[in-house]
Amino acid sequence: MNTDQIEREVVINAPIERVWSALTEPKGVSSWFSNGGDVSIDLRAGGIMTFDQGHHGAFKTVIVSVTPPHEFSFRWASGYPGVLATEENSTLVEFTLRETPAGTVLRVVESGFDALDIPGEFENHSKGWKSVITEMEKYVLATLETPQNNLS
Amino acid sequence: MSNVTEVLTALADPTRRDLLERLSLRGEATATALAGDLPISRQAVVQHLAVLDRVGLVRGRRHGREHRFIVRTEPLSDTVKWMEKLSLQWDRRLKIIQQIAEASTSSEDIAKESRQRESRENND
Repeated sequence: MNTDQIEREVVINAPIERVWSALTEPKGVSSWFSNGGDVSIDLRAGGIMTFDQGHHGAFKTVIVSVTPPHEFSFRWASGYPGVLATEENSTLVEFTLRETPAGTVLRVVESGFDALDIPGEFENHSKGWKSVITEMEKYVLATLETPQNNLS
Repeated sequence: MSNVTEVLTALADPTRRDLLERLSLRGEATATALAGDLPISRQAVVQHLAVLDRVGLVRGRRHGREHRFIVRTEPLSDTVKWMEKLSLQWDRRLKIIQQIAEASTSSEDIAKESRQRESRENND
């Protein structure tokens, strides 16, 4: 598995245009991304999509591509509320929509974790994702080499 | 020997995540009991448990004539948990988009059905 990205998808029993609307219209974005909070979208490459996540803060994502009804991507600085997303502080979120006999397949890929400094609750991991992975590997290996007598 | 990539690979499979969740809810269970919870065969459950066992995420032990499994969380360091959390957040978001898109379809269908019923009743 690639530790640089997360990939998820869902099959939706609705026409591709309707999925596109749910994905990109402010009312939809407010539901799926903002827990009902305020959202403003300048839906074009280079446009800003701001969404308010209440006590988590308001996030200013930068839209990278808009190709209705097939592609929508933006950069999201999830660790830096209030700060405009840049290549350094953010991950890239890419949605693709595909029509299949089973329905519309909506796929999301969030990538760029390797280069990202993980802030906030993981600030002690601020050396970056790669070093965290290395440390984790040591940790897991150590755990596995230790006999587990207590199964409670 | 195992490593992080193998742990992540084991967790990348949705059936295995389901299986882990079921197992942690039950605390301790046999492959047969788990197969009863999921839409897969006992044989498939056994194979998935073997993968999870190899990376240290489950451990089996004899209990009389039964072979019971428990979840082990040691391989899940904070970082893996964090990545898992992000994946679950995306699952939740995709689910909401699905509900919005599918609800608008069904509410139209409901409206259409109710119109048809109305016109049938008017024709009677």
